[in-house]
Amino acid sequence: MRKLSKSVITLSIFLSLIIIVINGCGAAKEPEELKSVEIREYEGKKLSSVNDFRENSIKGPQDVEREGYQFRITGLVENPKDYTYEEVINNNQHYKKLVTLNCVEGWSVTILWEGVLVRELIAESGTLPDAKVVIFHAYDGYTTSFPIDYIMDNDIIMAYKMNEIELPPERGFPFQLVAESKWGYKWIKWITKVELSDDVNYRGFWESRGYSNTGDLDKGFLE
Amino acid sequence: MTNLALAKRIIHWLLLIAVVLYLVTGLGITQFRTVETITFGLLTKSLSFKIHDNLLIPFIILLGLHIFFSLIKKREKGVKDNW
Repeated sequence: MRKLSKSVITLSIFLSLIIIVINGCGAAKEPEELKSVEIREYEGKKLSSVNDFRENSIKGPQDVEREGYQFRITGLVENPKDYTYEEVINNNQHYKKLVTLNCVEGWSVTILWEGVLVRELIAESGTLPDAKVVIFHAYDGYTTSFPIDYIMDNDIIMAYKMNEIELPPERGFPFQLVAESKWGYKWIKWITKVELSDDVNYRGFWESRGYSNTGDLDKGFLE
Repeated sequence: MTNLALAKRIIHWLLLIAVVLYLVTGLGITQFRTVETITFGLLTKSLSFKIHDNLLIPFIILLGLHIFFSLIKKREKGVKDNW
């Protein structure tokens, strides 16, 4: 009888241990990734906030869905290509750059941008010799253009992160062009297409409404 | 109405027009979507910029003249009262 009760106690302790181990294993869940918070300082320099921008897009903030998004390189290229959002980000080298955006309205913001080089994306498709102009198209119908030399000779990035966080929809998700040394209207948001063209007289949305086609920061923006 | 009184009246009205234009074109820059709709596309953002920028100097001149005429009026009134 005493032997039986000893066995029951031993069995109970053994079962309890098993239950504790099983429960313990269940409690160790994978860490859940929470939403990142923007940084406000980089290498000793103060950064502006994502909320310091003024909303001045032509049709208001656009809500581009990650699934189904297509980034297209077309026009005077050897191989026109379509990419998904993940393909643009995962198949290309990432670059970081601290650049100030100056708006024609008089405000400016200094942001740490992270993105991919436009010239590397274009190089994947191969440029045809006739290509003179790079036209950017956005989800809301906005367009702007640059001479091809500006894109190829400078480190112009298409940003998907600002201040270490993913571009919010109102700031141009999935991609915003960081057109350094150009006025803010050249920093196209919600990019969907890059078109190479030989039309040197092409004018984008604001450019066809009286703004300078070059958009150089050191010159006036009205023509 | 004397020439001076007529000039004063013209200056005051021109200043009022300049103030209104300054405000409207300012809104035409910052709230361009609304202003373009209200004005049936007549007052575009780039036109607002052009008017707003070119209005600064005339506005300052008109404001200066307005203050000048107001001071003259006050002085004349003061002289009359003392007399």
